[in-house]
Amino acid sequence: MTHAVIGHSVKRTDLLDKVTGNAKYVADMPLAGLLHAKMKRSNIAHARIRRIDASAALALPGVKAVLTHENVPRVLHAGSPHPRSASVTCDQYILDDKVRYWGEGVAVVAAISEEIAARAVELIEVEYEPLPAVFTVDDAAAPGAPLIHDREPGGNLVLPPVRIERGDVDKGFATADFILEGVYEGGRPTPAYMEPNVLTCKWDGNGNLTVWISTQTAFMVRGIMAEVLGLPLHKVRVLVDHMGGGFGAKQDLFQSEFLCALLARETRRPVRMEYTREETFLGGRTRHPARVWLRQGFRNDGTITAREAKVVFNSGAYGSHGPGVTNVGTAAMVSLYRCENVRLEGRCVYTNSPIAGAFRGYGVVQTYYALDIQMDEAAAHLGLDPAELKLRNAVREGDIAPSNHPLIGHGLEACIRKGIEATGWAQRRAETRQQQGVIRRGWGVGCEMHGSSAYPGIKEQGNAIIKMNEDGTVVLLTGAAGLGTGAHTALAQIVAEELCIPFDCVSVVHGDTDVVPWDIGAFASHTTYMVGRAAQMAAGEIKTQLLARAAAQMETTPEQLDIANGVIAVRDSPGPTLTVREAVMPRKGLPAAQFVGTATYHPTKSYSFAAHFVEVEVDTETGFITVAQVVPVHDIGKVIHPVAAAGQIEGGIQQGIGHTLYEDYQIDMQTGRSLNANFVDYKMPLAMDMPPIHTILLEAAPDPGGPFGAKGVGEDPIVAIGPAIANAVYDAIGVRFRHYPIRPEQVLQALAARAGEARP
Amino acid sequence: MRQLIALTINGEPRELAVEPHSTLLDALRYDAGLTGTKKGCDVGECGSCTVLMDGKPTNACLVLAPEAHGCTLVTIEGIQPDPDTVHPVQDQFMRCGAAQCGFCTPGFVVMAKALLEENPQPTREEIRFAIAGNICRCTGYTKIIEAIEQTAEALRHAPEATR
Repeated sequence: MTHAVIGHSVKRTDLLDKVTGNAKYVADMPLAGLLHAKMKRSNIAHARIRRIDASAALALPGVKAVLTHENVPRVLHAGSPHPRSASVTCDQYILDDKVRYWGEGVAVVAAISEEIAARAVELIEVEYEPLPAVFTVDDAAAPGAPLIHDREPGGNLVLPPVRIERGDVDKGFATADFILEGVYEGGRPTPAYMEPNVLTCKWDGNGNLTVWISTQTAFMVRGIMAEVLGLPLHKVRVLVDHMGGGFGAKQDLFQSEFLCALLARETRRPVRMEYTREETFLGGRTRHPARVWLRQGFRNDGTITAREAKVVFNSGAYGSHGPGVTNVGTAAMVSLYRCENVRLEGRCVYTNSPIAGAFRGYGVVQTYYALDIQMDEAAAHLGLDPAELKLRNAVREGDIAPSNHPLIGHGLEACIRKGIEATGWAQRRAETRQQQGVIRRGWGVGCEMHGSSAYPGIKEQGNAIIKMNEDGTVVLLTGAAGLGTGAHTALAQIVAEELCIPFDCVSVVHGDTDVVPWDIGAFASHTTYMVGRAAQMAAGEIKTQLLARAAAQMETTPEQLDIANGVIAVRDSPGPTLTVREAVMPRKGLPAAQFVGTATYHPTKSYSFAAHFVEVEVDTETGFITVAQVVPVHDIGKVIHPVAAAGQIEGGIQQGIGHTLYEDYQIDMQTGRSLNANFVDYKMPLAMDMPPIHTILLEAAPDPGGPFGAKGVGEDPIVAIGPAIANAVYDAIGVRFRHYPIRPEQVLQALAARAGEARP
Repeated sequence: MRQLIALTINGEPRELAVEPHSTLLDALRYDAGLTGTKKGCDVGECGSCTVLMDGKPTNACLVLAPEAHGCTLVTIEGIQPDPDTVHPVQDQFMRCGAAQCGFCTPGFVVMAKALLEENPQPTREEIRFAIAGNICRCTGYTKIIEAIEQTAEALRHAPEATR
């Protein structure tokens, strides 16, 4: 089926402002009387605050207010305020008399300049009573370990262990020809969005709070701020225009939201709090460091007879998305590669470490790293081509997904087949045999699947309101946030397609909780899928109203009418036509038609699939791994905007390369002090580090739940790249790494160890 | 005590009263009201604050505001030739999808313009090297490199469109 608007890379509506510097981010807004806030952060990982003295800070000229745990409301709340879902953890206060990680906020200052606020922060005296701190999940989960929170289920667990069982695992292992077992570990990458956390709060004389903030979840921010500050929702207005990236982490609240609002209320002036880059590391969110113990039984034909895994996630000092990540990451292991007998356990443990939160890939990055690498190990054991083994075991239509829904389509098989063909896989692999020399090349393949929407963890809904103007143009009101993915453009394309009007006849209003319909936030690869479907349904309502009115004018029935490119015509008739504008416009003394379409869509879940084919070069003298090229093959159902979709994939691959080879936010294991909270010591891929990426988009398994069959794309690309690189390294040098990041010194050590073994 | 500096920004003579310790970045953003130049790290690691200072791409966060006295600056707001036209770099960034969240984009656009003025026909390697001091977390750089290549290509055919 051909489409007039979707499937085409129309000009994105957000880009002109971005390339000209006109796009306004929160820190760009001038406000009369603006005060600047700065946080005092703990320099100890676990302690009780014995005494806190702000008198010297308050005495500094230019300081307007100081808040500590002694003068802020003590309200227990969740840092990741997903609407009343099982995945929230109520474990934090605005400011507490206890600190749980190095860098936690203990006080805040508002002053007439950032410099004065920063000086005042230095003048606040804090006397700590140190508590024993634990930094590893093993130490934190050990009997008698110091408790970081006084809450259920105890033992420093964020939630009771997640247990999933399908089939008969013991029987499955009993029928295996061989069993593989391994431990796979993931480090602590951070989202490192380019715009540091920032917000501005302002109260009016009627007690209404306005919040300008860089967030993915404006309505969640509104909800939790209203709850903690004791306000009804109509007294809190949250505004988000452009935001400088989030990648999941900007779903949380970071202490600053409540503090900024309280400072603004106390000073009766607008207050801005802008984190420095260092603070964005310290007080931000990371991916959950994880350890996966995985054991699988195989038959000699490659069939998997049983799978058992124990996953433990390091939550850091607070729960944040720990429950969601533990559920999603653990449950993901029922799938990807078919196995009827599965027993999984996922745990999430508090430690006195930086807070782990939501980050693109949401637990699945960690567990599929293990699952995919072990499939590669099985292929090596069997002497089979890993792509062939993965293809044989790939999930297919009707298999029960992690969400407990039957899968739609054969997306993963299609991705693997396409990648084999596009790379000339067999030939490429053959070329990497019998290599000599310092530089060794290798090819690897990694696979993944990821759900669009957070169902069943969250019962989501997408909402849309569309108004048609009297000239036939329309305005879409959406709560979906614009992280930079081009989501608003995609939504406008869907509306234009459904209404059969030109793309430039649709505008999008977003980012104002007082105006747009409620939205859960931009995450879980669900904006195009879920909000897009709601927008399509709302456009359908407008279309019904429009055709009814046009039919009256054209003296026919709506069923006889078609619209194409903004022109309404009677089907199979050369007769007169009517433009959409003519159908709506005021005539004969009558006002224009008032067409409003509204829709709410409750999605279940759809899955997107990908196989990443990667070529690496390993320098056996320096241990340095270079990714030479990536061929990512993705099935995301109907592609709405090919360039934007490819952009998501390339960006996810960049982050995935970073995870696998460079990025690890580290703390001192004695004190918990952060060691690399900057972009020099926390190394992300730069332009020189990035390989050519040859993206292939398939529409092999469109989902009827999405608009025109579209599915999500945001999370997928970060998942498959990691195991693909590790597998390619194995292909290059025969060393199996089961952790990330894989560092040059580890490559050299592994090569040296192997050389040592080889010596007689 | 604020200090008066005189400089040319985007072709306009400006006098700014700046704190002696403030950076050029803060002076541009808060004293000159030019917020297109972004603060991603404030310590010269990310390139989001790249401006042209006497023609040279410079991290505005690494320059003290008084040092810019007498200088000629071009910021992202000065790249667009007129309201109805965009610079070829800006045009290609839009066409290629070289911006996502857009926060690093002003720095990349300024850096790309600087590169193409010095080297109108750069190789891919020269482009990658030129933007190695600018961090983008959204795009994977692929489309940024493509946009700069496409700009060079467009300028080869219509060189007068550059400035």
